[in-house]
Amino acid sequence: MSATPPVGVPRRRVLVAALLAVPAAGGCSFGSDADDAPDPLIALADAARADAGLARAAIAADGALAEALQPLVDARAAHAAALEAEITRLDPDRAATPPAPPPAPALGRDPMARVREACEASGAAAAAAAVALPAERIGLVAAVAACCSTYAVVLG
Amino acid sequence: MSGAEARQAAIDGLQAALATEHAALWCYSLAAAFLTGPAADQADQDARDHLRLRSAVERTLSRLGARAVSAQPAYATPEPVVDADSAAGLLRVAETDALAAWRSLLERSADPAVRRPALNALVEGTLRCARWRVVTGTPPAIPVFPGRDDPT
Repeated sequence: MSATPPVGVPRRRVLVAALLAVPAAGGCSFGSDADDAPDPLIALADAARADAGLARAAIAADGALAEALQPLVDARAAHAAALEAEITRLDPDRAATPPAPPPAPALGRDPMARVREACEASGAAAAAAAVALPAERIGLVAAVAACCSTYAVVLG
Repeated sequence: MSGAEARQAAIDGLQAALATEHAALWCYSLAAAFLTGPAADQADQDARDHLRLRSAVERTLSRLGARAVSAQPAYATPEPVVDADSAAGLLRVAETDALAAWRSLLERSADPAVRRPALNALVEGTLRCARWRVVTGTPPAIPVFPGRDDPT
């Protein structure tokens, strides 16, 4: 048993890192990720997936909620797909790394209230992000904001 | 886009939004003759919202130094309006058209002073549209992409 690691390993790691770095550096020259700030649509797509998961869990816990919440599940899944397509359009590398699944939803004592709050927060986040977006993206994000905010009113 | 081009794009978008607000108000006045009970109350309230929106757009255009487009004396309805169902259907179409115009304005102007109220109009209009979609039995009640040509 030895306390010192075999000498070969660090060098191999350096080589692997160097090989991996080449395509990444090539990707930078394209300019899509010249800006260090993450795409603001990523957080909105994550929220769409989380809301769809939350509404699905609420239906699983109480089948009577399906009539009210299944359209929301469908809408938020469609939002996630549309936002993801727009994110991938500007960052084709993202298609190779599918987004992490949303965290397990916590329904609490009043699942309907929890879903309504989530819609309200998602609508506000999309509205806040929309105003600064370029013309070709604002329509999608404004539509997401309007849809979520309306669910928040109707489910209240 | 130059400053003058940006200003003209915002004016064009505002004029288009104003034109759909004129049309929506005409639709509400026509539909009112066929609606009773809660639907009539809803139509009253919605028509007041459109009056408020129309005034807001006219004020913004005036501030930009543009002459606001006038209403047409009458509009062609996609279906004949003969009863409560067809009246509600007309209001669903009017609201859907207005959403498309507000969304288009968002795309035509980068000015936050234009975009914020346009976004509010899209959000509030989606609720009005959803109510008429419920009345006319058009699922899903809440459009998935309000303002898009095919909102579902």
